[in-house]
Amino acid sequence: MLEEELVRRVIREALKGGGDFAELFIERRLSRHLRLEEGRVEENTTGLEEGAGIRVVRGESVAYASTNRLEDDSLLEAARAASSASRGVPEGKAAVAPFPPAVVTRGGWYEEDPFGVTRERKIEMLHEADDAARGRGSGIVQVVVLLGEGIQEIAVANSLGRTAVDRRVRVRMIVQAVAARDGEIQTGYESPGILGGYELFKEFPPRILGQRAADQALVMLDARPAPSGPMTVVIANGTGGVLFHEACGHGLEADAVHKGASVFAGKLGERVASSLVSAYDDSTLERRWGSFACDDEGAPASRTVLIEEGILRNFINDLKRSRLDGFPPTGNGRRQSYRHVPIPRMSNTYIGEGEAGKDEIIGDTALGLYALKLGGGEVNPVTGDFIFAVTEGYMIRKGKVAEPVKGATLVGNGPRVLMDIDAVGNDLDFDTGMCGKEGQSVPVCTGQPTLRVRRLVVGGTTEVM
Amino acid sequence: MAAERDLLVLCEGWLERVLAAAGRGAEAEVFVQETRGTTVKVFGGEVEDLRYSHQAGVGIRVIVEGKLGYAYSTGLEAEKAERAVEEAIRNAGFSSPDPHNLLPDRGAAAAEDLEIYSPEAEELAPGEKVKKALELERLTLEQDKRISKVETAAYTDAVTDVAVANSKGLRGYYRSSDCFCYAYPIAEESGEAQTGFSFDVGIRPSDLDLEKVAKEASWRATVLLGSRSMPSRRTTVILDNIVAAEFMGLLSSALSAEAVLKGRSFLAGREGERIASADVEVVDDGLLPGGPATAPFDDEGVPMGRKVLVEKGVLKGYLHNTYTASRAGVKSTGNARRGSFRERPRVGASNLFLVPGKGGRDDVVREVGEGVYVMQVVGIHAGANPVSGEISLGALGLRVKGGELAGPLREITLAGKAVEFLQGVVVVGGDLRFLPFEGGLGAPTVAVEGVMVSGRGS
Repeated sequence: MLEEELVRRVIREALKGGGDFAELFIERRLSRHLRLEEGRVEENTTGLEEGAGIRVVRGESVAYASTNRLEDDSLLEAARAASSASRGVPEGKAAVAPFPPAVVTRGGWYEEDPFGVTRERKIEMLHEADDAARGRGSGIVQVVVLLGEGIQEIAVANSLGRTAVDRRVRVRMIVQAVAARDGEIQTGYESPGILGGYELFKEFPPRILGQRAADQALVMLDARPAPSGPMTVVIANGTGGVLFHEACGHGLEADAVHKGASVFAGKLGERVASSLVSAYDDSTLERRWGSFACDDEGAPASRTVLIEEGILRNFINDLKRSRLDGFPPTGNGRRQSYRHVPIPRMSNTYIGEGEAGKDEIIGDTALGLYALKLGGGEVNPVTGDFIFAVTEGYMIRKGKVAEPVKGATLVGNGPRVLMDIDAVGNDLDFDTGMCGKEGQSVPVCTGQPTLRVRRLVVGGTTEVM
Repeated sequence: MAAERDLLVLCEGWLERVLAAAGRGAEAEVFVQETRGTTVKVFGGEVEDLRYSHQAGVGIRVIVEGKLGYAYSTGLEAEKAERAVEEAIRNAGFSSPDPHNLLPDRGAAAAEDLEIYSPEAEELAPGEKVKKALELERLTLEQDKRISKVETAAYTDAVTDVAVANSKGLRGYYRSSDCFCYAYPIAEESGEAQTGFSFDVGIRPSDLDLEKVAKEASWRATVLLGSRSMPSRRTTVILDNIVAAEFMGLLSSALSAEAVLKGRSFLAGREGERIASADVEVVDDGLLPGGPATAPFDDEGVPMGRKVLVEKGVLKGYLHNTYTASRAGVKSTGNARRGSFRERPRVGASNLFLVPGKGGRDDVVREVGEGVYVMQVVGIHAGANPVSGEISLGALGLRVKGGELAGPLREITLAGKAVEFLQGVVVVGGDLRFLPFEGGLGAPTVAVEGVMVSGRGS
């Protein structure tokens, strides 16, 4: 996708008004999407998308122009627009380094090519999930199954001498089951994804996804309202990882830190968590939904130690922040598409394993909440205050998992929660999701082993425990 | 940017190609969208981000023997058409037949002379747009010495052209402009930090009142300094108009006839029932002057109009597109909505709002007397479920004591069921305000009694 002479011209044009560096990003994306609801395939969509974005960075300032047309004249026009946007701002260096041959990354690797699986087979898989979900009980009134896959090819070149291409193949299935009885409605949800192909379904056969989503909805139908107030909370592995993502992850992004809009600003080298906690952001993990071979600025995927036994070690950054703050690049410059500027984003973010067994942790808890599945959440990185929904929860009484409870949220403050983690399990697992920041959504994984937090506020609807 | 005639001609060209390839008996629709916009974000008196974008794309719906296929492509060039057309037709072959997969026909004429476009945004030089964002930041910083910084101050505008043509003879085109500015200041005192937010919208840059945004954003940040949690209890909660408008998002999902027909709404099967207090009236009006979603027609070309969805607390109906209307045996309400040309039309709001009563915020607070005034809710996408109707959200706000706003609150949650919230509405203010998201959501300050508020204790 990168023809050297054109790239050279475009980048020179972009730097005509000055700048520290300029970058050309080209993207092509083919996506397919199937949706089944009411037992029928109601949607069958193909998306064909391509475009380019040209960026000029001068100090803290970013000028950006994007276009759908990849012809020479359109790219040069976008370069001119970006360059004129950065005029009138104090001068920066304007060198253009020579272009090495593109670093062709390992990306695009998969076992079972999604575009080699027949449409008939894909539709069969939708029905497998649907039948399995409905078969779990007459209380299941609706099932939605989504199957999506895409190939994203990117090429990026900048004036600092980096060129890279990456090819990302992703597949994801989402099953949502709705259970209803006597006017009460509850939902269950499963949504595994992979940076890879249909081998995803070896680990997550559609009928298992259907069963799990349905079981969650049916269990919650029988749940009593969650109590409210502060209590001990054991958070299950896998989906529980959204805790760290929301409670802390966004505050560890270098752009929030730079603006002093993070509760972790100025705390490198300090204790920010209990010594049981070590946390990482790792885009090199094989097959994980949030992984890639290089980020959207062409930096290689990498593993960053965020917290080491409770001590804050690193923030995650992008090219601009890495240069301005003087830290090595962590390879977290990501963007939703050619229409967006890259900013520091998480990839696969998780709390590392400890030694305790899950049963040991629960057995050691006299009274509390067991949050088996967490839904989405939100954080204010400035204050560290966060919230997330518990979509499947149970009381823990006398060291045993007891009755299911519904409608609970967990509310707290990131740094305080990290300090209050008093047990870390040995069963690390990950969950798949999309992370939104500044109007851009990117694929991420969140992960953790079973964890216990000494005290969190549970928002429920009843007053009595 | 392509002018009206050019875009419709282009639309018709693609439509011809689709119909030629799909054969007799096929129905098709081509939806074209072209947007050109500028966004400026500033921080610390400097431009942080200045973005120009120009994008155009086409979405094709094909219906063959009741089976629907969809494909979209960026770019408007004829060469792009061939592959997209092929994919759309192939996709139709694999979908399940549904007799309600129908396209709207020509029908009534759409409204003309709606005030939804001004050339001012395109005529304003980029340097002037940068000045507006910098001015907004400067004004916000000078409101209160406790405002330490403005995390983001932004100005953004977009001009969008939409054209639609279908095989039933429907043709439509409009151009609209949207200008938006916002600020997120941070207030700091004694080691504590709080964020504030405010915004303004309009069809032209001069519609935006930077001073008003600066004042409101700073107040919203500083007033929360010193906030604490509170003991859990059931009490009257006053939702400020921004928060109340966010809650309308929950209602817009639940009022979607698509969700209702498929058993995914807590309002399913409740037409004619009293689902809210008698003070509650909810209207969706795609022709509302000054409304963020105002347009002559919806995203499949059906003319916009005004409909009453809840009257004196009784549910009167749902929001429909052509497909859901066919299933329900009613007429489309003009609520076909797509996020962009990348999606087939589903159902969405077009200026959905809680009809205002009387009085401003302070009047509502005085009438309520004791309770909690909510200024921010956290986690609304996760914590407000339109299927189950369950609400469990974090909140920040102020105590209400003796009819006045008092000390700030944080780390509290609100929980309950949506219908209980609706039935608990006791006061509806007159200060209607719209959020320009999700099809335009509007509400005034609203008081709801009997809400469970949880906290960490004193």
